[in-house]
Amino acid sequence: MDEASTSASAGATRRAIPPARSGVFYRFTQQNLPAWKPAMTPGCLIAMFLIIGIIFVPFGLLCLQTSNHVAEIIHRYDFDCVPNAYRGNWQAYIKDSSISKNCTLQAKVLEHMRAPIYVYYELENFYQNHRRYVKSRSDKQLRFGAKYTAESCSPVHRDNNGSPIVPCGLIAWSLFNDTYDFTRGSKEIKVNRKNISWKSDREHKFGKNVFPSNFQNGTLIGGGKLDPTVPLSEQEDLIVWMRTAALPKFRKLYGIIEDDLHADEIITILIGNNYNTYTFGGKKSIVLSTASWLGGKNDFLGHAYIVTGSLSIFISILFALIHVKYPRPQGDPNRLSWNRKNGNG
Amino acid sequence: MASERPLLVATTPGASTPDDAPSPHPPAASLLPPAQSEPPLRADRLAFSVEVPDPFRPPYRRGDGPAADPSASSQQREREGGDDESRGVIVGEPSPEFAGNAIRTAKYSLLTFLPRNLFEQFRRLSYVYFLAITVLNQLPQVAVFGRGASVLPLAFVLFVTAVKDAYEDFRRHRSDRQENNRLASVLALGTAGEFQPKRWKHIRVGDVVRVASNETLPADMVLLATSDPTGVAHVQTVNLDGETNLKTRYAKQETQVRFSQNAGVGGILHCERPNRNIYGFQANLEIDGKRVSLGPSNIVLRGCELKNTTWAIGVVVYAGKETKVMLNSSGAPSKRSRLETQLNRETVILSFMLIGMCTTASVLAGIWLLNHRRELEFTQFFREKDYTTGKNYNYYGVGMQIFITFLMAVIVYQVIIPISLYISMELVRLGQAYFMGADKDLYDESSRSKFQCRALNINEDLGQIRYVFSDKTGTLTENKMVFQCASIRGVDYSSGKDTGGYSVVVGDHLWTPKMAVKADPQLVKLLRDSGSNEEPKLVLEFFLALAACNTIVPLVLDTRDSKQKLIDYQGESPDEQALAYAAASYGIVLVERTSGYIVIDVLGDRQRFDILGLHEFDSDRKRMSVIVGCPDKTVKLYVKGADSSIFGITNNSSELDIVRATEAHLHKYSSLGLRTLVVGMRELSRSEFEEWQLAYENASTAVLGRVNLLRSVAANIERNVHILGATGIEDKLQDGVPEAIESLRQADIKVWILTGDKQETAISIGYSCKLLTNEMTQIVINNNSKESCQRSLVEALATTKKLRAASSIGTQGPLLASETSTVTLALIVDGNSLVYILETELQDELFKLATECSVVLCCRVAPLQKAGIVALIKNRTDDMTLAIGDGANDVSMIQMADVGIGISGQEGRQAVMASDFSMGQFRFLVPLLLVHGHWNYQRMAYMILYNFYKNATFVLVLFWYVLYTAFTLTTAITEWSSLLYTVLYTSLPTIVVGILDKDLNKATLLAYPKLYGSGQRDDKYNVNLFVLNMLEALWQSLAVFYLPYFVYRLSTIDMSSLGDLWALAPVIVVNMQLAMDIIRWNWIIHAFVWGTIAATTVCLFVIDSIWVLPGYGAIFHIMGTGLFWFLLLIIVVTAMVPHFVFKAFTEHFRPSDIQIAREMEKFANVNQVNLSEIPMRGLS
Repeated sequence: MDEASTSASAGATRRAIPPARSGVFYRFTQQNLPAWKPAMTPGCLIAMFLIIGIIFVPFGLLCLQTSNHVAEIIHRYDFDCVPNAYRGNWQAYIKDSSISKNCTLQAKVLEHMRAPIYVYYELENFYQNHRRYVKSRSDKQLRFGAKYTAESCSPVHRDNNGSPIVPCGLIAWSLFNDTYDFTRGSKEIKVNRKNISWKSDREHKFGKNVFPSNFQNGTLIGGGKLDPTVPLSEQEDLIVWMRTAALPKFRKLYGIIEDDLHADEIITILIGNNYNTYTFGGKKSIVLSTASWLGGKNDFLGHAYIVTGSLSIFISILFALIHVKYPRPQGDPNRLSWNRKNGNG
Repeated sequence: MASERPLLVATTPGASTPDDAPSPHPPAASLLPPAQSEPPLRADRLAFSVEVPDPFRPPYRRGDGPAADPSASSQQREREGGDDESRGVIVGEPSPEFAGNAIRTAKYSLLTFLPRNLFEQFRRLSYVYFLAITVLNQLPQVAVFGRGASVLPLAFVLFVTAVKDAYEDFRRHRSDRQENNRLASVLALGTAGEFQPKRWKHIRVGDVVRVASNETLPADMVLLATSDPTGVAHVQTVNLDGETNLKTRYAKQETQVRFSQNAGVGGILHCERPNRNIYGFQANLEIDGKRVSLGPSNIVLRGCELKNTTWAIGVVVYAGKETKVMLNSSGAPSKRSRLETQLNRETVILSFMLIGMCTTASVLAGIWLLNHRRELEFTQFFREKDYTTGKNYNYYGVGMQIFITFLMAVIVYQVIIPISLYISMELVRLGQAYFMGADKDLYDESSRSKFQCRALNINEDLGQIRYVFSDKTGTLTENKMVFQCASIRGVDYSSGKDTGGYSVVVGDHLWTPKMAVKADPQLVKLLRDSGSNEEPKLVLEFFLALAACNTIVPLVLDTRDSKQKLIDYQGESPDEQALAYAAASYGIVLVERTSGYIVIDVLGDRQRFDILGLHEFDSDRKRMSVIVGCPDKTVKLYVKGADSSIFGITNNSSELDIVRATEAHLHKYSSLGLRTLVVGMRELSRSEFEEWQLAYENASTAVLGRVNLLRSVAANIERNVHILGATGIEDKLQDGVPEAIESLRQADIKVWILTGDKQETAISIGYSCKLLTNEMTQIVINNNSKESCQRSLVEALATTKKLRAASSIGTQGPLLASETSTVTLALIVDGNSLVYILETELQDELFKLATECSVVLCCRVAPLQKAGIVALIKNRTDDMTLAIGDGANDVSMIQMADVGIGISGQEGRQAVMASDFSMGQFRFLVPLLLVHGHWNYQRMAYMILYNFYKNATFVLVLFWYVLYTAFTLTTAITEWSSLLYTVLYTSLPTIVVGILDKDLNKATLLAYPKLYGSGQRDDKYNVNLFVLNMLEALWQSLAVFYLPYFVYRLSTIDMSSLGDLWALAPVIVVNMQLAMDIIRWNWIIHAFVWGTIAATTVCLFVIDSIWVLPGYGAIFHIMGTGLFWFLLLIIVVTAMVPHFVFKAFTEHFRPSDIQIAREMEKFANVNQVNLSEIPMRGLS
């Protein structure tokens, strides 16, 4: 755009004079700049698809291999952790604070898991990307404190007395608060819960001098509470939670186990099943997973590479056959439409 | 004899048929002040009589119809006072009643700029759509984007346009100020001859102004006196109509005398209301109890320059915005390109897509809400109630939510209708216009004229033309007339030899006419012997008629040799110039012209001829005549005009054999391609003369209806004419015309010639420019009544059918079928028949016939018939039409055709003013259409489709995401990226490619004119291609969305990171698609395509470095993982494979002509080198 307008004005000044007959500018004005003209010759095409195939298929296999080496333990517990008496009456169970929410799960380690082992909680049907939800936050308040409490946090921005809530908004209000403890035999497995959030968030997004206040004081408790003596920049569960998930089924990092888990070991997971997903039929699971250079367990990328790669090889062979069977000479004037008509009579 | 064509210069489209043109307000005639009784003129006062109305009204110019712009003030006066429709001006008394002389071309002032500029901008529908979306976004319930972000694109576009407008307006202000503050000498009130400097803006109607040589006239003025004792002043009107020859204007003797005697000013002037007709003016001046008529030759117009005259004094009659030049400053009507019209169809389809997507989203959202309505209050991510107030927070029930979702969806998906496309198209056209203007092959060395794009919105139409309507004179030919031969009294003199010219001795100077014409020695001898015989006398009369019956002004120019002077004949008609030079070569030299007489050197003897009256040319009479008082006290009428018109007024009985002989010669001349004119003479008796003079006097002082009156006076006197002879003037073909026509024909463009010339002339030109060939079957329609026209049309249609049938039987034979099947037909129609055909039911027949024929020649057509013929094709087919012409008589057809091209040639600049493109030569049409038209079309077509495709891809990516957000129109992509996608991420490469990419070389396109067919067939822009592009958009959006979706489905991926991937991936994919379709990669294209991808990445970095946005740091985080890059690679490859495969298959199995030609360029290296080295020798 810029280029066009400057050249147009340059042209205006040169008006009555015929353009000089040499130089780059002249070639430019005559639309005759040196140019590379790629052409899709059969050889070129076949080679290109072949190369894509040759690279993609092995790479896909590598991805699959990597993914297979990732060990994963998944347990859905939202159903199992509710005592039989309350099955069907989930709300009464979850809202009654007198009922203990603790529950234990036994999980068998199927294959050796090398540290670090990531502990995730997985929620399903939880629309962290819901429009009402993602908007309901105040990034200024998170960094600079209560005086930046904004309307954008509605409906959770002031408590019943009118004092500002820190951190405000639906996202913070709905903070996930299930807890997990792991034991192997009788020995507790240590879960490191530091540095589970992004460093950039801790340092620049959540204030070091901002402390929670009036949080979860309202009529309706949405989720976890925060320690009012700890600044937001150190409330890592909150920081992780506030990185809203892209999809309605998502995992969030809870902590990192820094010991290897051996095959056939039985580990006990003690769950504090506090978070209410029963109102909207959400599902909760606990996930233990190792990681590879591709992240967690995921076969899809490998499959995608293999499919695309083999398709490319197929196309390349198809082209090769077509060109052997029905060759078309490049740049044959006899194939021009007007010449063809004559030839065919 | 034919050549009424160049004689008819100023008929602009406003003028309808010749019958109704002249009198704008006939009923008002009775309101005129009664004509003052004046003593009838007597014959003895003949010589040099000042009372005789000015005979030197430039002929051949007719009004452009009813005055288009009645000024507000005169309308008001009309209403209030019931005054007549003329304006009264008291000479020397500035009247505040009329518009002042300050002009204002600037549109805005500081105060009005903002509202007016915004109003102007919002007259474009697309901006209104833009605005509506932005306003919608400001509603709190609907707001999708933040306030700042949503206003940004619209504000950006408005701001850029406003800055551009403001700059242009600033320049206009500056030039206005300069213009208004120029100084002019104005007669101080109450003095007799004291002129004081006064700023132009303070000049008022009625002021008397003095202008010196080479000064510009400040307003439209009636000349009162000049430095020349006879009252002649020369002006150059180059600023007005571009004509550089000097025009002669006259001051009336009455006023001239008064001023020379210092008698002061006075008198009342009545003139027409201000109008746009620069060649018409009617007024009269009451001075000293006399009433003097004034015509166009007495007025000098603002913007003209005084030349060759020491000073001139005039009274201002029209000032400021009422001057003719200001009234004429409006542009040509704007046209819309065909692509733009077709684009509307696709826009409608896209609108339905938009509505469909919005409906889907909102209905699904409604269903989701209904399914979950019991849970909404306690669901953490919804929580419909605000417990501090106990009311619903931002929730209005399912029905309302559906509606709000719909509106929000409209905002989110708005870009599927690409608003930025309109801006891109304008920029691309600007670039294309620049390259067309810069092309050396469109530069005319001889006239130093560049190709000019006057209309910036139909560049791409040049690539789709099927019909070319061409004028002949000045378009196919050079319009440099050279006298070739004469037939005098039935004897043909056509063996001209170079005689070295003829010179006149004046004092001790030798005056030589600027141009020598070959003279026939026999004729020269005959002239020398004149005196006794009757025959040589008539020969002399013939040349006297040539020298006298015109409006040529001889200018005497100095040469380096002080003894030698050159006579330059300045005139408005090239035919007249040619005739005057011819007469001069035979020794009858026009040497001087003043307002009342001319001086002719007749074979060395200088004689004075009084010009008593002049009947100007009009297209009804097709002739002009002049009444001359000869030195021997006789009064003669010389007349010249078209053959039909002169033969109609001869006294047939006595000179039958001469008429016949002349007709035979005329036929011979015109079949040689010469333009012919017949010259006649009549001697007037005293009574005849007196009767005529009275009538002429009355007619020419009438303010209203004067043209009609004069015409009837002329018709009365132009009777019983003796035929003196006929002339043949050659008009040479321009360079390269036959080759150009051949190229156009190969490109399947039908070339029609519409000319005012005779049928024979037209046919011979048709042969000489290779339009007609001997193999063609000619169908001639030449009738004088509707019935006979119908008959011949029906017959002709039957003949064509027969011929077609015969040839199709021929095609069943096995050999050379296609050769024989093309029976080429040529249709020749004349203007007379067209009168009965156009605008009647016969039109359809003509259309059928004409489309059967490969060549159509229309001869003797009037300007409006030319437009009618263009309309005949334009209204009945979808084919694009192009009209090319150089004269004012082509204006109507230039404006009627889809594309109008003006040749900047000999005949003034009206055609150029009305045209969309202008150039110097007819042959430039070939590179213009075949090369630039082709490029423009394919570039623009590709750009439009690409813009639809790239926006659809992005919108679909947004749409798929909505399916996973409980249908709440969340966008993972940040709002800034969504808005920048069309403005910055993807727009620049398509604009640059639209300006610079070439599918084929110039040499290839010229070598294979058939390649032009791709534009004619709409190959590059049609519904199929649109659907294909939409399918590609669908596939690519699926690839862009779902590959990351499945990869990240079970991960901790957050919205911002995934959003950045979803923003970057489509940008890369659509730019790769563009890259794949680019044919020529020069460094500029490289820079823009790859630079855009880099710029997008930088933008994402910047956006994610703003801590207050939720996505802070996301791009850095996700780019730190290997998964991101492997995913990006597979997205791009998967998205592109179908396009690539489809392209490869079509190129292999159904290669287009362009594709093959491109391969020929690339692989036939030897040919290619040769082709590019040959600079189109045939054409340039």
